[in-house]
Amino acid sequence: MTTTAVAIPPRSLTPTIRTVLRRYAFWAVAAGGALLVAVISFLATNAAGSAGPPLAADNPAQAGSMAVVEVLRGQGVTVLPVDTLVEAGEASSAHPNATVFFADPEGYLTTDQLTDVGTLVDRIVVADPDFAALQALAPEVGFGGVSTADTLTAQCAVPAAERAGEISPGGKTLGVAADAAGYTGCFPSDGDVYSVIERTLDDRTLTLVADRAVFANDEIATWGNAALALNLLGADETLIWYLPTLADVPVTGPPSLGALTPGWVTPVLVLLVFTAIAAMVWRGRRFGPLVAENLPVVVRASETMEGRARLYARGNARLRAIDAIRIGAVTRMALAAGLPRSMELDQVIRSVAALSGWPRDRVHAVLVGEVPQSDAALMELSAAIENLEVETIAATRPNGIAPSPSAPPPNGRMDP
Amino acid sequence: MALTGRFVLLLALGVVPLVLLDGTAVTAPVVLAGWVLFALLLGGIDLALAASPRALTVDRVLPTRVRLGETVTSELYLGNTGERRLRGVVRDGWQPSAGAGNNRTAVTLPAGERRLIELTLRPTRRGERTAAHVTVRSMGPLGLWARQATLQAPARIRVLPPFHSRKHLPSRISRLKELDGRTSVLVRGQGTEFDSLREYVRGDDVRSIDWRATARRNDVVVRTWRPERDRRIVIVIDTGRTSAARVADEPRLDTAFEAALLLAALASRAGDRVDVLAWDRRVRARVQGAAGAELLSRMVDGMALIEPELIEMDWTGLPGQIRGITGQHALVVLLTPMDAPGASTGLLSVLGQLTQRHTVLVASVTDPSMAGLTRARADRESVYRAASAERTTLDATRVAAAVRQLGADVVTAPPEQLPPALADRYIALKAAGRL
Repeated sequence: MTTTAVAIPPRSLTPTIRTVLRRYAFWAVAAGGALLVAVISFLATNAAGSAGPPLAADNPAQAGSMAVVEVLRGQGVTVLPVDTLVEAGEASSAHPNATVFFADPEGYLTTDQLTDVGTLVDRIVVADPDFAALQALAPEVGFGGVSTADTLTAQCAVPAAERAGEISPGGKTLGVAADAAGYTGCFPSDGDVYSVIERTLDDRTLTLVADRAVFANDEIATWGNAALALNLLGADETLIWYLPTLADVPVTGPPSLGALTPGWVTPVLVLLVFTAIAAMVWRGRRFGPLVAENLPVVVRASETMEGRARLYARGNARLRAIDAIRIGAVTRMALAAGLPRSMELDQVIRSVAALSGWPRDRVHAVLVGEVPQSDAALMELSAAIENLEVETIAATRPNGIAPSPSAPPPNGRMDP
Repeated sequence: MALTGRFVLLLALGVVPLVLLDGTAVTAPVVLAGWVLFALLLGGIDLALAASPRALTVDRVLPTRVRLGETVTSELYLGNTGERRLRGVVRDGWQPSAGAGNNRTAVTLPAGERRLIELTLRPTRRGERTAAHVTVRSMGPLGLWARQATLQAPARIRVLPPFHSRKHLPSRISRLKELDGRTSVLVRGQGTEFDSLREYVRGDDVRSIDWRATARRNDVVVRTWRPERDRRIVIVIDTGRTSAARVADEPRLDTAFEAALLLAALASRAGDRVDVLAWDRRVRARVQGAAGAELLSRMVDGMALIEPELIEMDWTGLPGQIRGITGQHALVVLLTPMDAPGASTGLLSVLGQLTQRHTVLVASVTDPSMAGLTRARADRESVYRAASAERTTLDATRVAAAVRQLGADVVTAPPEQLPPALADRYIALKAAGRL
């Protein structure tokens, strides 16, 4: 018996919190610094990124329109961004002399709502109108395809267009029938299509700008885009910047799943996520390190035998296989017949034929002569060898009983 | 630090206030955050109140040796030198093969007291089994959070070979006594030594009557004989790569150990001197000059740590090793596999040298499954397998024949029967006076 007496508490293999902090202080600081740099650079690059809704008044990205809105505000125009038709209606009734800027690239509004937009105020600027908007607001106007002209010059009497002179080439265009009343087309391309179409009817002015690039941050400063946008939008003291959102879509059918779920469902889900994390920590915390152990490799001795059997089978080594079976059978039969180990094979065949009662030619064919040409012949021959062996050995027993196959083999044990 | 299931439950219970208050989009997150903070606060308090697991002392009481297959009790004394009562769970870090079973024990340790933790070990493998550390998880009074530390507490126990074959020992010893002339049946063999004269009793071999002594006395007197004593036996165990193969789910090496132990026990009872050598390219174990109980204990001690090496056996170095053990004539028992002629060339090359000086006995394990495989020939695969098994058996027979031709004796048997077969052959050699 041995006793390993330890008077003082033994060394702990688990580091204390202080040790962990000291050991990983550098990496923690480094990781924190890297995170800080990442956050700052993300914020810095996000300002010039292309994310955010297009033409939004507060979107500084390339597709947004913050630039033109800020310039207008600097010039003393009150810009009111609104999200829904209801808000737009409220704003227009509060400022009846306002200009409305309207763009619905997602096509949220129905025809009725679009018609309502047309009657909000007297000056309406529509950017990038889709088919429904054209149908509701200016049915005479159709699409004109993409402009192929190298330069787009005003060539019309609309003051804003004249002042702009030229806008950035390319982009969508609109077409209008020549006999339609009140329409003025500006910035024509080949084939009587225009980039800007203005309709003046009963003191109401509707300006259709085919391409929204005129108002977008990335192209506002090129050509005469800025002049066109500022003149179109800055005519009145107030500008209602209306971009429809999902809130404009009329609610139809049964109430949505979100409306039916009780208010506590989301917080409970969040709590369950926390609980799941806690449960993972609970079950995942290891109760001390593993104790390593070198285990032996398990190799069965019969593996070489199995491998040789597979080699025989794959190579169809029938003769080699049956010869092994034959040698084994001949050895056992010779032993049973009381013949010495060194006896000639012919002698053994003669004895076996005599013992088993088989014809000698047959015994010779089974034990030596026959060459199996197919697997079926191999099986047949193997069965014949087995029968011959059983009959021969049974004949050597005094009571004529064949040895049971399950009898243990002779083990070389010698009893004195 | 560790969490408990109780803490998870506490956190999940936050569902109740959330559902009952059924807050709006503003109040619900507040309730949620409040509950999580409450749970964290309780956990933190619990953790702060838990006793330090680092303040524990660890003492072990453990026997140094155990035989494979037997159980042993490991005693672990934990003392609390801290100032708080420690409640928690202790895990004794034994290797898997030490057979510790469920090694987690719940303990309550008041400050300044000691407690005993008993663990029943049932090793499943021979060799040195070690424990590396003791891990203590100390719960707070609420049982929410726990402090955890792993304390260094090394321990080792040597697992000895099982010596299952000792059940054959009594019958073999009684057969030895028959040789010895102590029982009424006298077995007389060539080469046995003259012991004494005694009166004839019915049943004695008439050939052993000493007529001259009978003439001197009125009674008929017979000579008694006793077998030779003080012969040398050298057991060589092959620990090379082929000894790692398993026959009947036991490595050949372990079968060799069983056979060597039985033979050594028997031979030392018969008055012979036994030396054991475990050899591949260097000496793995050597037992020399021991007798009786000490011989066996030294043998199992040395054998416990031997594992088969992934190297080829160096047969050419063996005669020199045997010469170093004894210069006299001895019975050299080689416990080695005899599989294929190719693999046994090393053995065959040195056998001639050994048989010139010594009586050599080669003992080898055969695979008992081979006989069944040669008979099963139901389909194509099994015919080929039967052929392969037959070929393997023939190869082993050829090696055995070659070994016999070089003047050595051969014992082959399945793993269960090899130790008694080897013992029987030893008794036969002794009776024949060939030691």
